Amino acid sequence: MSQESQTPVTEERPAEQYPGIAALIHKKLPAIAFTATETKDNVDLRIGPESLLELARGLKDTPGLDFDYFNNLTAVDMVDEGLHAKYFFASYRQNHSVQVTVVTVPGQPNLPSLTGLYAAANWHEREAYEMVGLVFDGHPDLKNLLLDEDLHIHPLLKAHPLVKAEILQGIEDATPGFKF
Amino acid sequence: MTIWPTEREYLAETDAFDTVDMTINVGPAHPATHGVFRMILTVDGEMVVDCEPVIGYLHRGLEKLTENADYRQAMGWWDRTDYLAGMSCEMAYCMAVEKLGGIEVPERAEYIRVMMAELSRIASHLIAVGSFGQDVGSFGTSFTYAWRERERIYDFFEEVAGDRMFPTYLRPGGLQMDLPENYEPRLRWLINSIRQGIDDLDGLLTGNEIFVERCRGLSPVTTERAINLGLTGPMIRATGYRWDIRRAVPYSVYDQLDFEIPIGNGTGDVLDRYLVRMAEMYQSTLIVEQCIEKLPGGLVLNPDLPKTLRIDDAECYIRTEGTKGEYSVYGMARGGNKPYRMKLRSPSFCNLSALKELVVGHYVADAVIILGSLDIVLGEVDK
Repeated sequence: MSQESQTPVTEERPAEQYPGIAALIHKKLPAIAFTATETKDNVDLRIGPESLLELARGLKDTPGLDFDYFNNLTAVDMVDEGLHAKYFFASYRQNHSVQVTVVTVPGQPNLPSLTGLYAAANWHEREAYEMVGLVFDGHPDLKNLLLDEDLHIHPLLKAHPLVKAEILQGIEDATPGFKF
Repeated sequence: MTIWPTEREYLAETDAFDTVDMTINVGPAHPATHGVFRMILTVDGEMVVDCEPVIGYLHRGLEKLTENADYRQAMGWWDRTDYLAGMSCEMAYCMAVEKLGGIEVPERAEYIRVMMAELSRIASHLIAVGSFGQDVGSFGTSFTYAWRERERIYDFFEEVAGDRMFPTYLRPGGLQMDLPENYEPRLRWLINSIRQGIDDLDGLLTGNEIFVERCRGLSPVTTERAINLGLTGPMIRATGYRWDIRRAVPYSVYDQLDFEIPIGNGTGDVLDRYLVRMAEMYQSTLIVEQCIEKLPGGLVLNPDLPKTLRIDDAECYIRTEGTKGEYSVYGMARGGNKPYRMKLRSPSFCNLSALKELVVGHYVADAVIILGSLDIVLGEVDK
């Protein structure tokens, strides 16, 4: 399971086999490899970090796709499967939406920043950076947003305890080994 | 250079004297910031040249807490996000849990939920408009007018759920309990009272030339820019774009209700944002009335639910039209009685991230008004 998710494979299958919006995206952007699955209410495209920028640019600028709306970015710590960044793109003009899961290899949390394409991505990326430790290359101002500036912890990692007042009180070193 | 140079251009041209940029710290505890929010303004004379919003003073770790609680336990924290409209936040969270677990909701519960969400919207917009009037300079009057109707709505919430601001009335699968017996005359009286209150506010603010001229043309945004900045809710509707999640991606029973989506006249300025909110409050009263008429009988809670909800691998993204904009919840379950991940896409957070662009180039006195027109609630920004 984890091996498959880390290296998405191009599946040579006809476009109509992709669910929902994925068929249209595959038709418009045939060069980008992704694995498409269905979530409870949408379609999820699974890609690696190297094709994120290309996919996002394609989604935004291709006529007919017009994903002009950076809706959300969720960072999930999948523990043994590495960190997942769940982007949610939507289109005002076409009124469709898609979820893009970017799978990072454990120990390499680097992703390209989408702030150049979407101004809205700025704070979402800063939040993901502090909460789980994803690093967005090219972000203009990557620093803590909700947490204290000198608090270098990533609370939404599964390894981070729910209650640990010592970290906040400075009794314990605030940069312990929450390395994923 | 134009015939009438701005102060900045004049000083640059004449080189009369050197001006030094000054840093003004507004907040975190300041009446104009509507909560614990800090903005670091860099000003040149009266003009704002840079603005850095600093948030996080109300960060309570909502998402981490939710990951460590039972599906039902976690719900109480979610109406503390947008604490001016608790019911509509609960609705989004419950919808996410229901979508993950494939839980059915009785139709009567759906109508009551919509009713409560719309009353929350009115209460929240009343605060937005009332405190905005205060920002602009109507001192206490607009706030008092708005507060009167809001109190009546909260009294109704108390009768229904037992609590005013944080009712915890919804449950995954329905509602905690049915409406009280005498709800209908009570609610109809409330709606009339709200309409009267909106009229009063309208006369006080929209009928006031000083107020209108102060807001007109201030901090305009085009639709394209608003989309790129991620502005939602009244902010994008003020730019003249007719977009509402309740219509575009209908959820609950909104597709069976008849209502208009008010939009601004296209400039997307501060006045438009105010007018959109005023019009939306009236539309919400219409929705509540329709809910009373269409309210079916039956149960309000799915009777087949187990004592402990356990949900297998599932993922969903629920989009709802919150009071400030698109209030969406990403949910992921991986077995067990706790969610693996719940992420809130809060509208205030996204609208506030555009603050710098909206404020720079305006007067310091207007910065407060522009912030007020964003209608942020810090519980939702900081999670």
